[in-house]
Amino acid sequence: MQKKVLSEQSLYYGDVSMPKGFEIDQTILSKDIFHYKAYNRFPFSKTLDKLSTYISEHIKVKYNINLIKKETYGEVYHQQEITLPLYTIDPVDLKNSPDFTLLYGVDVKDCYVRIYYDDNRRKGRSWDIELKNNMFVMFPSTNMYIISNNNKNSFNFIQTITYEYI
Amino acid sequence: MAHFAKISENNEVLQVLVVDDKDLLNSNQQEDESVGQTYLETHNNWPAHLWIQTSYNTINNTHINGKTPLRGNYAGIGYTWDEDNQIFWPIKSYASWVKHIASASWKSPLGDAPALTEEQTSQNEANTHRWFYVWNETAYQADNTTGWELVNHLP
Repeated sequence: MQKKVLSEQSLYYGDVSMPKGFEIDQTILSKDIFHYKAYNRFPFSKTLDKLSTYISEHIKVKYNINLIKKETYGEVYHQQEITLPLYTIDPVDLKNSPDFTLLYGVDVKDCYVRIYYDDNRRKGRSWDIELKNNMFVMFPSTNMYIISNNNKNSFNFIQTITYEYI
Repeated sequence: MAHFAKISENNEVLQVLVVDDKDLLNSNQQEDESVGQTYLETHNNWPAHLWIQTSYNTINNTHINGKTPLRGNYAGIGYTWDEDNQIFWPIKSYASWVKHIASASWKSPLGDAPALTEEQTSQNEANTHRWFYVWNETAYQADNTTGWELVNHLP
């Protein structure tokens, strides 16, 4: 008896362990997110480049997936805000949609991500993960997700990067 | 042109970049690895000590142009940097293989493949057969006195 895996939905998550002195600067990235919110355009950011390079290089070495950055944007979530279901693909333009969505906790507290998936006929299953500072979670862009900020006192800053793989 | 491997703190090679020779020159106009490391730190946001120079012409601890080899092998993504032995190790082909420092390569625990017989060599030369030995890890794990298997790749 043999088994053939035709498709899989893999999620990658963990901390971004940059070398000492080269850590991702939360303050700069938070400012970049504010800039994006104000001008609807993400500024050139060495900090973001460090993050994106770290992810693509480590995913390549560990899982042999070649990621190419597609889009970048940041979001600020209010106290006790729960988003509507989110998608980073365009369902009517899959050709130009990304393969993976990465969420990175820039400055977050009590922040949870719920990722929905189908398991054959068992539809609408979900997996929850707490997103912490300097932590990322990456999942297929075809998976719907929601973000909830459960804390009452502060905003949550989350960086999103979408990737294609080749 | 000089090549530098970007390594993680766990000594995995993440990337290999090319640096112009002029970016390696110190104040005496001599090529200096530390100058290249500083250059890469500045332009690539990665600490200088995690950039290790590697030689495009070095393989299995031999320089293809007969010069002095540098650090065992030309680094590739996924290779491992061995600071103690100053060698970039390629990814291990089989679980049982062991490091051979002198040749900067992985060797089977039974040594090199046996030599072909004169008859097999002559058949290879006549193109009637294509004899060579391949490593069978499953066979080795079952019986650690076997591993090399003779195969013929011509029907």
